[in-house]
Formats: sequence, C-alpha cells, structure tokens
Amino acid sequence: MTEEPVIRIDNVSKSFLSEEKPVAVLENVSFNVGKEFLCIVGPSGCGKSTLLRMIDGLDRPSQGNVYFHGKPVEGPTPMMGMVFQTFALIPWKTVLENVEMGLAWMKITEEDRLRRSEKFIQDVGLDGFEASYPKELSGGMKQRVGIARALALEPEVLLMDEPFSSLDALTAEGLRKEVLEIWSNPQFSTNSVIMVTHNVQEAVGMADTVIVMSPRPGKVIDNVRIEMDRPRDQRDPRFYDYVDRIISRIS
Amino acid sequence: MSRRASHVLLPVLDVLQSVPVLGFLPAVFIFVLTRVPGEGGQELASIILIFTAMVWAMTFAVITGINQIPNDIKEASKAYGITRSRYLRQVVLPAIYPELIWGCILAWGGAWYFIPVEEYATFGMTQVQLKGLGFFIAQAAAESRLDSAIIGLVAMVLVIIAINRIVWRPLVARTEKYRYEVTGGQRGFHARHGKLRSSLLKYEGRITNPIVTFFKYEKTNLSSFLETVPRVHVPPKVRERLARIFLVTRVIVIIGFLGLMVLVIFFLENSPIPTLQAALNQIQSFQPIKGCTGCLSGFPLLAYSTASSLLRLLAAYLIALGWTLLAGIAIARRQKLAKALIPIFDIGQSIPATALFPIVTLLILSRISSPMGIQLASIVLLLTGMQWYLLFNIIGAIHNIPNDISESTSAYGVSGKRFIREILIPASFPAIISGSMQAWGGGWNATIVSEYIVTGQQQVQQVAGLGAVLVNANNAGSAGTVVIATAIIIMTLTILIINRLVWHRLMKRADRYKFES
Repeated sequence: MTEEPVIRIDNVSKSFLSEEKPVAVLENVSFNVGKEFLCIVGPSGCGKSTLLRMIDGLDRPSQGNVYFHGKPVEGPTPMMGMVFQTFALIPWKTVLENVEMGLAWMKITEEDRLRRSEKFIQDVGLDGFEASYPKELSGGMKQRVGIARALALEPEVLLMDEPFSSLDALTAEGLRKEVLEIWSNPQFSTNSVIMVTHNVQEAVGMADTVIVMSPRPGKVIDNVRIEMDRPRDQRDPRFYDYVDRIISRIS
Repeated sequence: MSRRASHVLLPVLDVLQSVPVLGFLPAVFIFVLTRVPGEGGQELASIILIFTAMVWAMTFAVITGINQIPNDIKEASKAYGITRSRYLRQVVLPAIYPELIWGCILAWGGAWYFIPVEEYATFGMTQVQLKGLGFFIAQAAAESRLDSAIIGLVAMVLVIIAINRIVWRPLVARTEKYRYEVTGGQRGFHARHGKLRSSLLKYEGRITNPIVTFFKYEKTNLSSFLETVPRVHVPPKVRERLARIFLVTRVIVIIGFLGLMVLVIFFLENSPIPTLQAALNQIQSFQPIKGCTGCLSGFPLLAYSTASSLLRLLAAYLIALGWTLLAGIAIARRQKLAKALIPIFDIGQSIPATALFPIVTLLILSRISSPMGIQLASIVLLLTGMQWYLLFNIIGAIHNIPNDISESTSAYGVSGKRFIREILIPASFPAIISGSMQAWGGGWNATIVSEYIVTGQQQVQQVAGLGAVLVNANNAGSAGTVVIATAIIIMTLTILIINRLVWHRLMKRADRYKFES
C-alpha cells in the first residue's frame, strides 16, 4: 500500500502484573489495516481482544504504538465504533436510548440524533423495537442493537470483538450474512472493519485479510490475503485450503 | 424448605427481621438475674444473649448453603447412586463451608455489637457491670476520661482486626473453592486487583443484625414468594383468591407471632398478665419522668415518641445516604482514592457502633450542651449504626458493574458527570434500596441505646423517642411491662409497615436496574 494505512499497529507489546509477576500477553505485534475487512484469528488468551481494545483506545500498549491515520491513538473516538461479545447494553435504557449512547459525543442536534438512531435501528431489522428493553430481546436482537449503536456513529472503522460467539449457531449465521450485506452496501460509510474471532471458518468466510496469532504471548504468525469473491461458498475447495492453512499455523 | 412450611415460616421470619433485638435485652437479663443472682447470673445472661445473636446468623448460613446446591448436582448424585451418608459428607457439607464461615463472621460481628451494651447497662434496679472491653470504654466515658476510653476502643478494634486477619481471612481463602456462586470473570472494575476485590466482596452486605442477612437472598423475599407462579396453570380468578388467602394467612401469622412475643416479654419479666383494662390503664398512666406536670403520658406519649424517633432516623438516614453516595461515586472514579479509603472504611466498620456510643456522647455533650447536644448525639449515634449498610451495599453495586458496560460506555464517550448520572447512580439503585432497608433496621435497634444515655453516676440524658420509652419502662419494674411490650410491638409494626409501603415497592421498581448475570 502506498498510502498511509488507516490503522497501523507498530511493534506493540503488552504485559500486565498478575500476583506480582509480569505476564506477557502480546509480543511485537505489527500489521497494517487498510480499507478492508480484516479478521484477527487466534486461540483463547492470545491477546486479540486486548489488541482490539488498544485500537479503540480503551487500553494502552506497554510498548509500541497504534496509529490511526498516522496519529497515535490516545483514547476512544467517534470515528471508531465497537461491538462487544457480551453486547454491553444498559439494562434500564430502551433500544433507542442504547443506540443513541454515542451520539451525544458528536455534537449533532437532538432531531438528528433521533433520526439517525431510528434509521440504524431499521437497518439492523429492529423496526418497532425502539421502546423495548434489552431484557425483552433475544441474544441475536441484542447484538443487533450493539451493531446499530456502533453504526449510528457512522464511524470510519468498525471494531467487533467476537460478536457472534455468544449466539447460537443459527442466529450467528443470520447475523453474519447481515453484516456482510451492510459491508457490501455502497452507501455504508465505514471503510474498515476489524473483527476478532476464534472461529477460523468465520474469518475465512468474511474477511479480505486474516491476521493469524499464536497462543500467549500473542505474535503475528501469518498474514493471509483471501482472494475470493463474496458471497463465499463454504464447499469451494479454496475455502478449505485457506482454513487448513490457518489452522495448521496455529497448532 | 417445603412449600407449606414456607407459608408459615416466611411471615414469621418477616416479623423476626423487623423486631428490634435490643428491645429484648433487658427482659432477658432480668429473667436470668431473678433465677441466678449476682455476677454469675450476669455472665450467664450475657452469654445467652450473645448465643442468640450468633445462632441466627449461622442457621441461616447453613440454610443458604444448602439452598445453593445446584439441581444438576442433586440429580447426578441420585443417578450415580451416592448413598445418603456420602451425599451428606461429600456434597452437603462442602456446600455449607463457605456460607458457614461467612455466617460465623457475621455472627461475631453481631456479638461485638451486643458486648458493650451488655457489659455496662442499667436495667431497672440492677446495674450490670461485667468486666470487659465494653465496660472499660463505657466507664471511662462516664467518668469523662476521654483518653482511657479511646485507648479501650483502639484495643477493641485491634482485637477485632486481629481475629479477622488471623482466623477469618485464612478460613475464607481455604473454603472459597467450595463455593457454588459464580463470581464470573467478566465482572468488576478492579478485576485485576485481587486483594482489593476480595476485601470489597467481604464487606458486601456485611451487617451486624444477623437476621437481616437472610433476607439479602431474594429467594426468601416475601412478595416474590406471593407472586410465584403456581406450577399448575391457574385461572386468574382462582389466582386472586389464592393470593388473598396467602395474605390473610400471613396477617394471621404475624398477629399470632406478635402475640407470642408479648407473652414472652411478660414471662421474662415475671409479670402477671393483666386484663385488657388494667393494661390500658398502665399505658395511660405511664410517664417517663415521674410526676411531671404538663408532660405527655400514655398514648399521646407513645405517638409523640414514635414520631420523634422517626424524624431522628430520617435525619440520620439522609445524612448517611448523602455521604455514602458521594463516597461510592468518588471511589468508583479514582482508583487511588479507593485504595486509600477502603482500608479506612474497613476499620470504621469494624468498630462496633455500641462501643463508640459512650465516647461520641462524651465528646458532643462536652462541647454542646443539652437539649441541643443530646439530640445531636442521638442523631450521630443513629448515623454510626446506619451508614455502613448503605456504604458497603453501594460500593458493592458499583464494583459489580460488569466490565463490558464500563468498556462500552468508555468506548462511546460516556464519561464524567454523564457517566455518574446515567450509569453509576442507576446501577446503585437496587443496592441503595437494600442498604436502606438494612440501615433502617439497624437504626431502630440503635434507638434503644441512643435515646437514653447514662452520662455518669446517676446521671442520665434522654430525648423523646420510642427507645427512651422502652428503657424508661424497664426502669419502672413490673409496672412498665405492658409499656415495654407495647413499645416493641409499635416498633415492629412500624418497621413492617415501612417495609411494605416503601421499601418493597421501591425494590420492585429497582428491578429494572439490575444487571443480568
């Protein structure tokens, strides 16, 4: 890539103290993210979720830096929206209020806020549920709210932390398709998606690039470019070649 | 617990949790002393009282432990043919261990609360003096020797803390592995700071009235019991009738139990049970200060006293709520502040409020003279008895805000005042309610020792209040028994009514602020 990548991970390492002993979680991780759908794949504990949080500015590297458009990431920004594995919705707020959560950040009028929230609630297929509470929703619906909340920022970068792993297989499959539809929609303002997952098939099915990480301490052991047109057929032999390649690198 | 037993048992427990335990203290003492006079009797009485304080906490702990055994373990035990005795040894006993230790900690906490009251008190004609730390502090304060009193207090606190470190903490650490309750890796602000987290968990809901602990567990929440959907599908009309039957049963049981309490009081005080007319006469002629013209007496006195106690409790409650909320928010915002403040609260909470009373009274009365002084002292004493329930419930709730919520609010720019307003305070709401319930329970108990204070030899200061009525009635000997019973009933009923009308309703509304686990 000749232009400055959207996100640049530059030699990032992270360790923390557990019972007085330092534990290294990430070691010398470097890669770039352009205008693409990128997946970070790795076994549990390899630090991929921590890495995502550092990209969003929720955590700081012990060494190295994360750059967003050339500038180091200092903290969360409305230009990045994050979707959480456990949905992270506020139980006493309605769907509408949850989706609106980040919009106060953005200094837009109240009418604009309402309009935007309602638009994205519709886009994720939750029309009519604006006044419902998270308790009344199924897992899949809750994650849709999480996605709507992120999209409402109309962010440049969409970050997803194992977004489908708390859902049953059928619901997850449905949501994956929806996310890919949103991604392929030319009106969608987001240019980059970074998704963390431990499900290799999911990564190969969705991503342009797959970053493969080793077990703890996490290092980048492969950077795979998936050259397949979407929608991708799981029965295509190339699909399985990719999956095998990635799995063999991890184990 | 079988369903039918819980019909009767739960209303009884509901009442029991509202009874001010300290109200019975004089009665028990007098009862034992008439049988076993002298110092032996005093020791015996105090041991009996400490025992009753402790046994509740431990009983409820054992019940809780058994209730927590998951159904699938019970089924697996049956499926794999585990015999009764093995089941008891390998499943039931380990399930009890962590809760039992917890119950022991609470039991000792409750006992320390009783000690100062027992060791230095005046019941009617008798003056109780038992050699002990509580006595040391109280006497030093009565003789205005402030430095001795404080030394005594420090000694007591050191002993309590020493027992904590040497006995309880290691036991808790060793039995934690038997615990079924999942504490979840996702929870908690300070998940990485193990020590901080474990000390916070230790104080979540820690209280001195052991009976109230049981109701921390919502399984026994009476209103939720009434709303339990019967297993068989019941048409709405029948359900309404059932609910009404339950209500009537409950009321009957409560009245029955109150009646039983009255009988117990009469029995303990060795007073004959008067006729209704005689009883009413006794109440009407009761006056705290004998022969005072223009003073209230009888029923107007009782009404006025109840109102005064209520107002004082309200004042103390509002002050407690104010500062504990601020403290809770401050701790949530800055970790450094948390590290500094938590140990201070830890120690503050270890000081049995009743040991503090004589010192606080001495300090206030030496600077501000009565009647203002004694009112202030009374409120401060109530405060010390109420605030820790609120504080630790609030801190516990804030601490339990799930990790993903604190991350997502950070990721979406919700910070500072907005975070406090929209996240912290709503998240604390359920804890504020349960803390308030416990605080008021503890507060009523405290009125008994904070409204009538012995400030020296033969010197007494008192304020108008139900607790003072109780103590005065005790001093009146058998003529006052009816009044004692009445005062205790009034107190219990007030607590029950406030619970129903205020706290249970607020609890229901607080439901929506709970995080799903």
